[in-house]
Amino acid sequence: MLLIHCPYCEEARPEVEFVYGGEAHIARPLDPSTYSDGEWEEFLYIRSNPRGRHHERWRHTHGCGRFFNAVRDTVTDVFETTYKAGEARK
Amino acid sequence: MVDIAEIAVSAAELKLGTEPVQGSGVRLSHADARARYSLRARDAAVLEKAISRKLPGKIGDQTDGVICLGPDEWYAILPESTALQRGEGLPVSVVDVSSRALGFVLEGPGALAVLSSGCPLDLARMGVGRATRTVFETVEIVIWREAEDRWHIEVWRSFATWLWHALAAAMHASK
Repeated sequence: MLLIHCPYCEEARPEVEFVYGGEAHIARPLDPSTYSDGEWEEFLYIRSNPRGRHHERWRHTHGCGRFFNAVRDTVTDVFETTYKAGEARK
Repeated sequence: MVDIAEIAVSAAELKLGTEPVQGSGVRLSHADARARYSLRARDAAVLEKAISRKLPGKIGDQTDGVICLGPDEWYAILPESTALQRGEGLPVSVVDVSSRALGFVLEGPGALAVLSSGCPLDLARMGVGRATRTVFETVEIVIWREAEDRWHIEVWRSFATWLWHALAAAMHASK
C-alpha cells in the first residue's frame, strides 16, 4: 500500500485514508458573471493531464479531513512532495 | 476438522452483540456510556476558553478524553452526562454528538493483531494515549490507545453492527 505524507498530520499515512481531488491550483473565477462560454469551458473541463509531474489535490478524508496539494509522478506513482492548501505551487 | 465461523446470511441475522466476545488473549466489549462532543474552531485558544478545558495542540494527541482530529477539529469522549459550555456568540462550534457513535473496547495482548487485521495504520508504533481517526476495512473509526493492550474504538451507529461482527470474526480467525 502507498503511504502518503499528510502535511497537516505530519506523518505518512496509508493511501486508503485519502481521496483524490483532481488537479490543483485551478483558481475559481473572481467575477463569474463576466466569464464567457470559452472561459467557463477552460475553467470547468480543461486539465493539463501531464505525463510525469502532476500537481493535484488530495483530501485526508479518514484522518484530519483536510485538503492539501501533492506533486505526484503520473508514470511512477511516486509522491515527490505534499504541501498545505494555500501554499505556493512547488 | 476445520473450525468454520458461522456466517450471517442476511442483514436481519446481524445483531449488535450485547455480551462481550472473548477470544484467546483478546476481549471485545462495549465501552460504558459516554458524552461525546464535536468541537470546531479556527482559534484553539478561543475554544479552550469557551469550554474551560485544555485542548491537545497536535493532531493525534489526546488530553483528558479530548482528541485532536484535525487542525481545527477536536472530538471529546467524556464521562456520561458531562456538559460542555456551548460558547454562544463565539466563533466556535460545540455540538453534542453523544448518540452518533458507539464505543467498543478491545483489550488483551491479542488486541493489536485483531485491530490490525482491518486497520492499515502501523498500530504497533502508535504511542499509548494517542488517538486518531482512521478506517477499519472501509468503515471510518476513531481509535484511542488507552493503554498498551487496551484500545477504545468509536464507530458511527449505523456501522456498529458490522464492525462488531468484523472484529469478532477477526478474533475467531486469530485463535
